Amino acid sequence: MIAAEFGSTPWGRAWVRSVAAIAASGPNALLPRARTLARNHAVELTTEPGRIEARVSAADAVQPVHIDVPLWSPQTQAQVRRLLEKSLAEHPVLIAGDLSDSFEADLRQEGIPVAAGLDELRAECACRSRKRPCVHILATLYALAQQIDERPALAVGLRGGATDPVAPPLPGWIALTALDPVAFYGD
Amino acid sequence: MPVAANPLQPATPRAGVASEPDAVPLPGRLQATFVPNENAMAWWGVQLLEQAVQEHGLPAGRPGTCRLAVADGSRVRAATVPVRLVDLDSAVHALRTPVPPDEESASLRTWREAVRMLDDDDAFAALGERMPAAAHGALNAEGTAIVTPTVLLTEFRQALRARAALRSTTIHATLRPYQQHGVAWLTARPRSGQGGVLADEMGLGKTLQAICLLASRRTVGPHLVVCPTSLIGNWRRELARFSPDTVVVSHHGAQRKLPSTVPPGAVVITSYPVLRRDTALTRTRWDVVILDEAQQIKNPDAQVSRAAAKLTATAAIAMTGTPVENRLDELWAILHVTNPGLLGSRNRFRQLFVTPIEQRRSATAAAALHTLIQPHLLRRTKADVAADLPPKLYSTVVCTLSDEQARLYRKAVDRAFSDGFGVGIARRGRVLALLTELKQICNHPAQYLREEKAELGRSGKFDRAAEMLAEIVDDGERALVFTQYRAMGELLADHLTETLGAGPTPFLHGGLSAGRREELVRDFQESADAPPVLLLSLRAAGFGLNLTRATHVMHYDRWWNPAVEEQATDRAHRIGQRRGVTVHTLVTGGTLEDHIAAMHENKRGFAKIALGRTDAALARLSDEELHAVIDLDSGALA
Ligand SMILES: [Zn+2]
Repeated sequence: MIAAEFGSTPWGRAWVRSVAAIAASGPNALLPRARTLARNHAVELTTEPGRIEARVSAADAVQPVHIDVPLWSPQTQAQVRRLLEKSLAEHPVLIAGDLSDSFEADLRQEGIPVAAGLDELRAECACRSRKRPCVHILATLYALAQQIDERPALAVGLRGGATDPVAPPLPGWIALTALDPVAFYGD
Repeated sequence: MPVAANPLQPATPRAGVASEPDAVPLPGRLQATFVPNENAMAWWGVQLLEQAVQEHGLPAGRPGTCRLAVADGSRVRAATVPVRLVDLDSAVHALRTPVPPDEESASLRTWREAVRMLDDDDAFAALGERMPAAAHGALNAEGTAIVTPTVLLTEFRQALRARAALRSTTIHATLRPYQQHGVAWLTARPRSGQGGVLADEMGLGKTLQAICLLASRRTVGPHLVVCPTSLIGNWRRELARFSPDTVVVSHHGAQRKLPSTVPPGAVVITSYPVLRRDTALTRTRWDVVILDEAQQIKNPDAQVSRAAAKLTATAAIAMTGTPVENRLDELWAILHVTNPGLLGSRNRFRQLFVTPIEQRRSATAAAALHTLIQPHLLRRTKADVAADLPPKLYSTVVCTLSDEQARLYRKAVDRAFSDGFGVGIARRGRVLALLTELKQICNHPAQYLREEKAELGRSGKFDRAAEMLAEIVDDGERALVFTQYRAMGELLADHLTETLGAGPTPFLHGGLSAGRREELVRDFQESADAPPVLLLSLRAAGFGLNLTRATHVMHYDRWWNPAVEEQATDRAHRIGQRRGVTVHTLVTGGTLEDHIAAMHENKRGFAKIALGRTDAALARLSDEELHAVIDLDSGALA
C-alpha cells in the first residue's frame, strides 16, 4: 500500500482535512498548486507553540509566511496531558517524537481538535495576491502536515500541549526546563 | 533500493516544536564536558576553539559535534555544538597539570578537580554539588534532559577503570588512533546497558576492536560471537593472535555441545546457521554478543533474525562494513536487535522515516533519523582516517574449510602417500601434482572436480570472497582479484557476473589476445560503466599493467612467492598515489595454504620454502617433512 503523500498518519491528516475544507463549496484551484509547492520542497518551515514561520519559494520570489495557531485552553491542555499519560502507559516503546494513533483517536473522541480550522488561524503572507488564504499559506499548511506525519508530537506541541514523557524524568536525569540558565556555566 | 546518495547526511536543523536556531549561543569561555557516549572529554564554548584549547595547554583531540545543553537567554536548550573530543587518558593526563585557578571556566575547573580526587569517594560526592550544569551537559537521546553530576562522575570513574582494565589486558597489537577511539566507544556501550553498530569500512580492523572489547570484560559473564560459517576460523585465529589469554569455545558442527557453564570472559564462537536452530544459545545469559557481518540479520522475518533478537545480553554489538545508514529496512532490522525500541515498530518506522525519506526525499525526516541513530552507530571510512593508515593495508582472512573440502583434502593426501612419491624427477612431478590438487580443493571443489559451476556453501574461501566483493562493490569501490588458475578464474567470473549485478565480470588471462587484454585494462581504468571487479591470472598480470583505479586487491590463491605477489599488488598501487590500497589475502585455515603462510610470516621452518620457489622446495622434502606441511590440522578446523 502506498502511503498518502499528505496525511499518512491521523495526526497529519487532521491538518490536511482543515485545509481541504475550503474546497467544500466548490473546487479550489489553489490547492493543487499549494501541494505542488510543498512537494517540490519550496517551503522552509519552523514552528513553536502557537506559531508557524515559513519561507515559501514560488515564481522567483520568496514569500515569508506567519501563521498564529490558537493554543488549547489550560483545561484542554490538562486533559490532553492526562490522555497522553494514559497513552504512554499503553505504548511505552515509541520512537522519540512519535505519538500513538490511538491517542489521536482519544482526542477526537473527547472533542479536542488536533488541527485548527482555517477560520481560526491568523495567517499573514507578504505576497500581493488578494485571495486569502493565498497559495503560500496553503502550501505552508501542507508542508506542516508532512512534518507532523514525520513527528506526530509536533501536532500537540503546536497547540501548546506537552509532549515529553510527562512522568518525572528518570532518576539520574535533570530536565532542561529545571535548569537555571543564569547559573548554567557557574561563573 | 538505494535511495539518494546518503540521505541521512544533510544536517538541516530539524524543524519542529523543539526546532533549533542555526547559531549556537556560545559562552565565550572554554568549557569541558564529559560525553559518555563518545567516552571522551569535549572542549567547547568559543569560536576559535583549536586556538583556545592550545592556549589552555590542553590536547587538541579531534573535531566533531556533540548534542549538549546550552544556556540561551532565558532558557536552557539542546544544541548541536562544535567540539574537540579528547580520549579520556590524554584528557586526564592534561587536566592533572596545575594552572592558575581563576583563569578558567567553572566547568573546566571542576574537571581539573575531579581528576585529582579519583580515589576519594567523599570528595567526589562533594564535587558533584558544585559542578556547573555545563560540565555535565551531555543530553539524553530525546534532547530533553541532562545527566546528574553524581551519575556522570560515577560513569567517568567507571570509564577510567575500564581503560585501565584494557591496558592491563594483554592485547598483542598496536591500535591505530581511530581504533583506540573505536574501542573506547565500544567499551562505553555495555556500561550504559546499550548495544550499537560498529560499521567501519572493510579493512579498518573491526574484529580487532571487538576483541579488545571482549578482552576488557573478563568478569561479568561469557561472550558470544556470531559470524558467517566462512569466518569462524578467522575469529579463532584473531582471538588467539591478539588476546591469547582469552578462553575460546567453538560452537559449531554436528558434534557441538555448549558446556553447562561457560566461564566469565570466555568467548563462544558460533555461526548464523547454528544460531538459527540452537536453543542453548538463546537460553544462556551473555555479557557481550557480537554479531559479525550483521547483514545476515537484515531480514527481520527470517528465523535467524528472530533468534538473534531472542539472545539475552548486557549489550549486543553488530558489525558490518556496508553503510547501513542508507538502507533503511536493513538499519531497522539490525538496530531492532542491538537497540530494541529505538526505532519503534517496523510499521511505524516505515511511516515516520522510510516513506518520507524514500518517496519525497524529506530532509527533516533524514535529519531526525540521523539524530536518533547517531549515538549508536560508529562508521569510519578509509577516507576519514587516511592520516592513520599506511598506503598499503594488508589483511589476511582465514577461511573455514567446508565438510566436502575436508573430505576431498584428506582423501587426496592419503592416496598420494599410500601410492608413494618415488625419487628424482618422478618424485618432483608427483609432489607438484598433489600440491596442485590440494590448492584446487581449497579454492573450490568444483575446480578440483572439473565441474561447470561453483555453488555457494561448498568452499569457505569462495563464500568469503563473494561476500567481501559484494561489500566492496556496494561501497562503490573497485577490486582486482588474482588467481593462478584459469579454471578458477572462470568459475569466479561466472559467479560474480550472476551475483554482483554489475554486468559480466571480465577475466584477464594469458589466453586472450594482446589487443583484448589492453581493452580490458583500458575499460577498467577509464570507462564510466566498467564492471567494478577485474579478475586476473597472476601470469598475465606481469606486463607493467596500470590498474590504479582499484582500491582493493584480493589474492584468491597463493603463489607462495612474496616478490611475485607484491608485484601483482603494485598493479593497483603506484608510489605517490594518494588513495591507499587494501590487500586481502585469503587463506584456508588448517590446510597447506595456512602452514605455508605461517612459514612465510615467521621466516622459519624450511628456509628454502620461505625464500620463494616454494613448490620446488617442497619436492625436495622427505615424506615426513612433506606430510607435516600439508596434513590437515584438525585443531584449526574445529
Ligand atoms: Zn502569499
